[in-house]
Amino acid sequence: MEDLAQTAIEAALKTGAHFADVRIENTATTIIELNDGVSKQSLSSRLKGAGIRAFIDGAWAFAQTTDLTKSGMRTTGESVAKMAIATKEKVAEKFEIEGPSFQARSHYKVKKPFSKIAIEEKMAFVKAIDDQARDYDTRISSTRTIYGDLWTELYLANSLGTNVYTQNSIPRIISAPTAKEGTNRQRVFKSLGVRGGYEIMDEEEAQNIGTAAAELVIDLLSSTSVKGGVYNVVMDPILNGVMIHEAFGHAVEADNWPAHATVLEDKIGMQVGPENLSISDDPTLEGMRGSYEYDWEGTKTKKRLLVKEGILTDLLHSLETASRLDLEPNGASRSQSFMHEPLPRMSNTFMEPGDWEVEELVQDTKKGILLCSFNYGYTQTAKGQFMFQASHGYLIENGEKGQMVRDVSLAGNILEVLAKVDAIGNDFMLDAGTCGKNGQAVPTMTGGPHARIREVPVGGM
Amino acid sequence: MVDSLLTIGEKAVKLAEKLGADQAEVYLAQSRSFEIEAENNAIKGASESKDAGIGIRTIIDKKIGFAYVTTLDDSDIEEAVNHSLSLARASIPDPDFHTLPESLSNYQNAKGLFDKEIHDMTAEVTAELIIRAIDATKQVLDGYNYAIEAGVQSSSSMNAIVNSLGIAKTEPRTSISIYSYPIIKADDDQTASYEYQISRKFNEIDPEWVGRSAGRLAIGFLHPKIIEGGEMPVVFAPLGASAVLSRGFADAVNAEEVQMGRSYIADAFGEKIASEKLEIVDDGLLPGGIGTRSFDAEGFPSQRTSVIENGILKSLLHNSYTANKDRVDNTGNASRPSYSGLPGISTTNFMVSPGKGDLNTFISELDTGVVCRNTGDRPNMTTGDLSAMIIEGYYVKNGEVQHPLKNTLIGINMRDLLKRISHVGNDSRATFSMITPSIVVERANVTSG
Repeated sequence: MEDLAQTAIEAALKTGAHFADVRIENTATTIIELNDGVSKQSLSSRLKGAGIRAFIDGAWAFAQTTDLTKSGMRTTGESVAKMAIATKEKVAEKFEIEGPSFQARSHYKVKKPFSKIAIEEKMAFVKAIDDQARDYDTRISSTRTIYGDLWTELYLANSLGTNVYTQNSIPRIISAPTAKEGTNRQRVFKSLGVRGGYEIMDEEEAQNIGTAAAELVIDLLSSTSVKGGVYNVVMDPILNGVMIHEAFGHAVEADNWPAHATVLEDKIGMQVGPENLSISDDPTLEGMRGSYEYDWEGTKTKKRLLVKEGILTDLLHSLETASRLDLEPNGASRSQSFMHEPLPRMSNTFMEPGDWEVEELVQDTKKGILLCSFNYGYTQTAKGQFMFQASHGYLIENGEKGQMVRDVSLAGNILEVLAKVDAIGNDFMLDAGTCGKNGQAVPTMTGGPHARIREVPVGGM
Repeated sequence: MVDSLLTIGEKAVKLAEKLGADQAEVYLAQSRSFEIEAENNAIKGASESKDAGIGIRTIIDKKIGFAYVTTLDDSDIEEAVNHSLSLARASIPDPDFHTLPESLSNYQNAKGLFDKEIHDMTAEVTAELIIRAIDATKQVLDGYNYAIEAGVQSSSSMNAIVNSLGIAKTEPRTSISIYSYPIIKADDDQTASYEYQISRKFNEIDPEWVGRSAGRLAIGFLHPKIIEGGEMPVVFAPLGASAVLSRGFADAVNAEEVQMGRSYIADAFGEKIASEKLEIVDDGLLPGGIGTRSFDAEGFPSQRTSVIENGILKSLLHNSYTANKDRVDNTGNASRPSYSGLPGISTTNFMVSPGKGDLNTFISELDTGVVCRNTGDRPNMTTGDLSAMIIEGYYVKNGEVQHPLKNTLIGINMRDLLKRISHVGNDSRATFSMITPSIVVERANVTSG
């Protein structure tokens, strides 16, 4: 692979590019989905190809190829360089791509590689989880169980001298049952996603996920819709993570700076939240779905302390953003696959724990709402507007957890909401997620402690 | 290219049958797309992607396997066929699976799918389009502090479907889309908006309209305010109506979701589920439509399906599996994400039939209410509950827009939303997922704070 990458880089430089890089990927995935005990999807895939970029004077060009021969790489290297040169006349701002180079062979060791587990064994596991959810209660009307694994080998090289081989291994198990009682129907989605091999599926949380999902969906049968209004909200670790991800994380992706597309543009080194608030993005955590040693540009990653005691201190960088803002790259550039250009992205993003006991947090809130888990969320960083939806929650009356509610949406503004965080728990948990940006999905984790936001609008039926 | 895709497909189907498949189906796709992006008012980069791959579905004793690979190399295809078969063997049989679709004679040729101008588009022409859109936005934003993002994407693709029952179909398609996304910074506020167009024809693209419209919209969203909530009418502009109906209703009439009991529309076939004003048609043969194709993702002929007529649910959307399971006619709505997945179900051109009036008329007739230009939300498909943030919208009083909105949510159950549609306009437009005019929902819960 090293030879192929060098061929493309040399071809691009010779054609006139100032910088070029290559990602060569070989990925194998398996997806097994059962619906009501029957195979719905038994899928395997192989992604093999290279993504090549060329750069000159502020102009980028990108192309992908599945022709992994020397001549194929040379042709693509040349054509991508020509495309960059043609674009260069029309760019407004000239700059160069600079940065450190990395050389590494990073092997990711797992106890049980996915390729060593027979498809029958994976199928039997999915069947057991599907049965588990159905057998929990007669009101479970439909079950859906999805297992997925992904093994990636990635080779990254660039004209600065970077030359990195890296691997990744991420399994996932999802249980999504539906329950029915009369005309009342509810559904949930519970997932476990971490980094590792098939051994993760032997752990208790994976082995019992069908029961956990079924228990929650049966509980939801007695939930009610929430009345819309302004509430004091206590978020559980999962929802807190989603809030941090949507309401803050996207806005510190550094490609927003040259594009002037974030409301945080003028806030570096300034107060963006209360003094007890710290937010981090850390791809170096062991065994987490959003973790990796080197990013998709070959930069070694490190923990990013984005907000320290309320002050915006760091951003998520690619080689380009670090070059343009004259900062060190911190390994946040990721692609969905070789078919996509790398972009500054989050990894494992979380609020750092505070000092409140979780029970105290609820008691102290008196009247409000405790929101748990999530359905989805999105944001528009240029405007600062975001929203996310909790899958369920509980009304807090007189400092006690009461009636269960479902599908609670919360809307807000990035610059306003962090200032409203007034109490942070001392617990901590991360949950699996998948983040979308510009049509690219990458595995992430989000989380933190329980935390409270004062007076935010909550949507109701 | 045509011959080679079909030939590769036929070879793969034969190999699968030889290795033990009762039935096999191969989906191949080959595409070239070209994209130019601009940020901060100038072009930033270009990308070209050439993609080709193959997906193989095999069936053994009602057990189904699927594998795909991102190349068309013989050895990779052979590996994928083998993977597909071993997955089929290890699967749990599906008693409701009957058969892959058979080859029929009633294919109608869809019109307006391929435009040579898009197929042959050069970098220069693409760059010119994006510059024209940016210039148009700039003109409107003269005097403001702004940064415009913009993009143009064109694509030319060919797909082929071959199966054991004689289906061997292939069709070329082109498409082009353009957007402008201006960000405006004022002293104490920052906002953004966007406009776009998508078409299968180059000469339908109007970069000046896109640019001007995006600029005007962005100015209109400066200095948003919250309002006092409560029950009030909501006017959905076409983009908002498309967001709510495509995400919120199209999936509810997806036969697979209904069969699994996951849709809020259950057992409502033939019943009145919506206002009499609402008529929805799914037309896979609309000339030049973004969802148009002569055959669906299993090679079954496209058709025009009436979904809602006078408020009555007339049909669900089916692929071969759900139609066989319910013993009804296949509506030709099989869809898949290119070669990389099994066929699911989706709309083709999902269209709300036009009525009377447009966005401006509806605003002028409003006493008090809100306008939702767009939302990114979707309902809980099982309960139908929708809680949607008005990501772009206005507050209306006495028939006039008062100010844009912030932190404002609409809450309504989809079943109520469908029944409370009091007006359907005639200002239809194509979005990425639908063709719809503005609609008015006579009351919903609005929360703001």
